[in-house]
Amino acid sequence: MPSIVDLVGVSRAYGPRLALDDVHLALEPGELAFLVGPSGAGKTTLLKLINREIRPTKGEVWVDGIAAHTLKPSRVPDLRRRVGVVFQDFKLLPRLTARENVALALQVGDLRVSDQEASERALDALDAVGLGDRGGSFPHQLSGGQQQRVAVARAVVAQPPLVIADEPTGNLDLENSWELMDLFGDIAAFGTAVLIATHNVEIVTRLQRRVLTLVAGRLVRDQPAGRTGRLAWLATS
Amino acid sequence: MAGDVVTARFPRRRMAQIVAMNVFRYLFRGAVRNWLRNMSSTAPALGSMTLLLLLSGLIGLSGFALVNLERVEAGQASLLHVYIRDNATSTDVDALWDRLAQDSRIASVNYTTKAEALQRAQRIPGLPQIADAADSNPFPASLDVQVKNIDNVAAIDAMVRNDLAVDPVYPTSYDRGAYARIQAVLFGIAVAGLVFVALLGFVAVTVTINSIRAAIHSRRDEVSIMQLVGAPRWMVRGPFVIEGAITGGLAGAAAGLAVFGLAMAGIAAGSDNFTQFAPGVTVSVAALAAVLVFATGVGLGSGSSLVSLRRHLES
Repeated sequence: MPSIVDLVGVSRAYGPRLALDDVHLALEPGELAFLVGPSGAGKTTLLKLINREIRPTKGEVWVDGIAAHTLKPSRVPDLRRRVGVVFQDFKLLPRLTARENVALALQVGDLRVSDQEASERALDALDAVGLGDRGGSFPHQLSGGQQQRVAVARAVVAQPPLVIADEPTGNLDLENSWELMDLFGDIAAFGTAVLIATHNVEIVTRLQRRVLTLVAGRLVRDQPAGRTGRLAWLATS
Repeated sequence: MAGDVVTARFPRRRMAQIVAMNVFRYLFRGAVRNWLRNMSSTAPALGSMTLLLLLSGLIGLSGFALVNLERVEAGQASLLHVYIRDNATSTDVDALWDRLAQDSRIASVNYTTKAEALQRAQRIPGLPQIADAADSNPFPASLDVQVKNIDNVAAIDAMVRNDLAVDPVYPTSYDRGAYARIQAVLFGIAVAGLVFVALLGFVAVTVTINSIRAAIHSRRDEVSIMQLVGAPRWMVRGPFVIEGAITGGLAGAAAGLAVFGLAMAGIAAGSDNFTQFAPGVTVSVAALAAVLVFATGVGLGSGSSLVSLRRHLES
């Protein structure tokens, strides 16, 4: 099965500082993996490379068959429509309702989607994340956990082959964090690859999924699903 | 139903309708809404652009009038009046007329009688008083010589000024250097106008670029979200360009109406003097100037936005 994400010898420097150093990584469809490491290890840089917010200094980044490392700026939206993104701070448009926020991701990617279709599919996605009855609410009328679920609905509504999440539980309490992880598990079960950058030790250790450990820009450990590795360093980071 | 294949017809017309509605919503409606929301920050750009376009329109009309004036002056400068002395014989006048008519440098020769000269003088401001003050008609008869090339006027003047039929005191209307002086003055006015418009244009474009930059800055979260969900570049940038076009269009409309109004007021106030002072400026020319000012406003606004986007919104 072809990989959804393929990083081949990827390095990324910010001036003289090397944020990522010779990273090799492949992510299969339906795989849920955690990206862990101390602050400044390069987790966000890696996610930005996948979403083509930045280019690698060296190496190749392939996303669903697209060469992100050589992609022209005008073609970046094509790649972004294949990647659902979830952020720590939700990044919802405050002047749009939950349903409009989700529908926006559908219509900007495909202008042939009618209002009715976008609305129905947005409601389906909100239903799937347990917010079917809050479609008419504005972000400020929702709790942090609910806003993050709207963001997840937005990330998956166009059924992308890959979802990446940067510290998605950073602003959530433990209960909401677990609910969110259940959602990500369900998304992966439907064949979408999910890559989550997180600091949450408890979630990483208990979910027993694949864990990629970055330290000082290097991928120092690639621990397969179902094995509990030594994550003690996380507690102090 | 088993075995039946149902083929649905692709609803192309409906699809085009949906695409048009979505483009309208994300491009135009969004731009209008954002423009209204940012009206206070757009006001300086709107004001400076209106001023620029108004002055450009007026300078443009003045330039058009100056070009026409220059043509009129050139035509007049190449028309040499050879004044006939009062006691000249008709034989001498005919001989001079023939000599001029056969000259290849001359396009035409016409004879103006003293009475016609008086009539012509009465249409020129200031001259009727001179005519009234004299007991008899002080204006001489003349041969009006249309020289083909303005550079040959001096040579024709030299050729005729000592002729027997010509008035020895005021032989011709030739004024050495007069045309060159007019050209120099017109050229100076044109350069000054262009420099002024260029300076004002620089100020207006800078103010507009800054107002769009402020709009981008105030909506940076929205822009980054649109980019992250895969919005194409035209969908992210388009509304800003349309916002600029709205600003430029409004400024252009206001300035265009003002230019048209001022030109119409000038035409209506003193049609004879205005035609002499600004030849060629008619109602249709004023309307065309207003349309050009409006189009320039739209172009300037959207162009300034594009420059600002290139500088401040690189994905």
